[in-house]
Amino acid sequence: MENTRVLQALVAIVAIAFLAPLAWAVPMVVTEVAPGVYVHQGRHEVQSAENRGDISNASFVVGSEAVAVIDTSGSLALGQALREAIRGVTDQPIKYVINTHMHPDHVLGNAAFKQDKPIFVGHYKLARALGTRSESYATANKQMLGEDAFEGSEIILPTLLIKETTTLDLGDRTLVLEPLETAHTDNDLIVTDNKTDTLFLGDLLFSGHIPTLDGSIVGWLEVLDNLKQREVARVVPGHGPPSMAWPEALQAQQRYLTTVAQDVRRQIAEGKALSEATKTAGFSEADNWELFDKYHVRNVTAAFAELEWD
Amino acid sequence: MRTNRLIGFGVLVLCVISLMSPAGAQDDRVEIWPILKEQAFGDRPIAEDDGMVVLEVPQKVEDAAIVPLTVRVPPSVKGKLKSLALFIDNNPDPKVATITYGPAAGTGGERSFSTRVRVDNFSHARAILELDDGSLHMATRFLAAAGGCAAMQAKDPEADTVGMGKTIVRTFPSAVNSTPIWAGQVMIKHPNHNGMQLDINTAKFIPAHYVKEMTVKRDGELVLKLDATFSISTNPNFRFTFGRGDENHLDVVIVDTEGAVFDGRSHGSGS
Repeated sequence: MENTRVLQALVAIVAIAFLAPLAWAVPMVVTEVAPGVYVHQGRHEVQSAENRGDISNASFVVGSEAVAVIDTSGSLALGQALREAIRGVTDQPIKYVINTHMHPDHVLGNAAFKQDKPIFVGHYKLARALGTRSESYATANKQMLGEDAFEGSEIILPTLLIKETTTLDLGDRTLVLEPLETAHTDNDLIVTDNKTDTLFLGDLLFSGHIPTLDGSIVGWLEVLDNLKQREVARVVPGHGPPSMAWPEALQAQQRYLTTVAQDVRRQIAEGKALSEATKTAGFSEADNWELFDKYHVRNVTAAFAELEWD
Repeated sequence: MRTNRLIGFGVLVLCVISLMSPAGAQDDRVEIWPILKEQAFGDRPIAEDDGMVVLEVPQKVEDAAIVPLTVRVPPSVKGKLKSLALFIDNNPDPKVATITYGPAAGTGGERSFSTRVRVDNFSHARAILELDDGSLHMATRFLAAAGGCAAMQAKDPEADTVGMGKTIVRTFPSAVNSTPIWAGQVMIKHPNHNGMQLDINTAKFIPAHYVKEMTVKRDGELVLKLDATFSISTNPNFRFTFGRGDENHLDVVIVDTEGAVFDGRSHGSGS
């Protein structure tokens, strides 16, 4: 098991309380999964006023000269709570804010770090993906979180676009950033902390929370097949425990995606229509995942629309 | 082009308003159907839910960008079909598709038509069937769409344009050989851009570019001609029935808004 240390950063966010009287200070729990590597685990829920968007994992890595944030959670307030948690650990400057992909629950906290004037980093397709979705993401999340919890959240586009493997130096440790082909989305970026062999997979890995498909099921399975060969000390999923063993962490998700792909392919071969597939494909997985009812049919729909062209 | 952009702006505003008050989305909206009905059918009477036409939609819309929609005409309806119109009241262009049937559309069994549509917001979906005698029959279902404007985003813009125009035509022979109604399917790889995606990187809308017309013939005789709008999902997909003929070759010609022509063919049995 990991030798973990739990930090409880109780934070009074004066600014937020001042700007939005109904918002309350958010204590953010982070776990040190390896020396200098901290992860906050989000809840396995859909965004709501009650959870304020705290539904995804957010991490940071502390070097001797700088800090890098990897995903910023789902609102300005949560980003601020993450920032306070960082400040509870180190005074090093926050030099990089890295987003593993476009989804709002991973990027809407970016605005909390503007004061640090960091370099915002993402996959080279992240800017386009966020660019065409910023309006709808903002609208949908404002509706789900409510005005108060959403207050001040905004889409911030990356300024450093990663097109090939890139190394960032934090002093005494380096992060290796790799852009991937379309899998969970078309802008997935993975990050490896070389010092501790920790691999941040973003939403390429779900555990407990059902995987959600917004890219390519074929691409995702291929990416996972390749990543499986890697020897790393631990991985950090986008949704799930702060730290997991590799490649064991992958089994459940690989089984889910493989089952969906197989069932959908069979139905396509049998001449079945999309509306039929969404009633049966992959339902053997129903008891294995939280939020199955929320996302499974959507996953089957996306898989069907992709695989019928194979 | 200018019109498309103006429509785009209007739609964005509508989306924002409706998403901000989801509970009121059904109530506050101006009832648009009477206007659409007047435009499309004048003062002709339309029988509602009289069993001549059935519209199937998902109970819950999971992905508003790909909502399967099926129209069935039960076998008890014996005569020829003249036309079928599909509407989604609250879509930017409520008229989804209009089908005009030809002599090879077939009679003597259940006839059906399926496609996948984009649903921009909470809305009624309607199928209006015109029989050979000129009578109109409507089935209406409510779509509780949850995707809002996000429904219109391509998952992978490159993948959506690779191999554009690839057309697959399939024939599904009936299990029972004597059945006079067979089924066919047309799939075309096409982004079907709706002209409503604003890219804040460029502050420009991605221009509208979609399939607007499809003609299906069986052994040279017209099965159907379809006129479509951008409410049809990316990579348009149509399933339909036709009257069994001698060879049962299906020939399909598709035209998009830029005038590009795509065609495909299937041979009598299978694909």
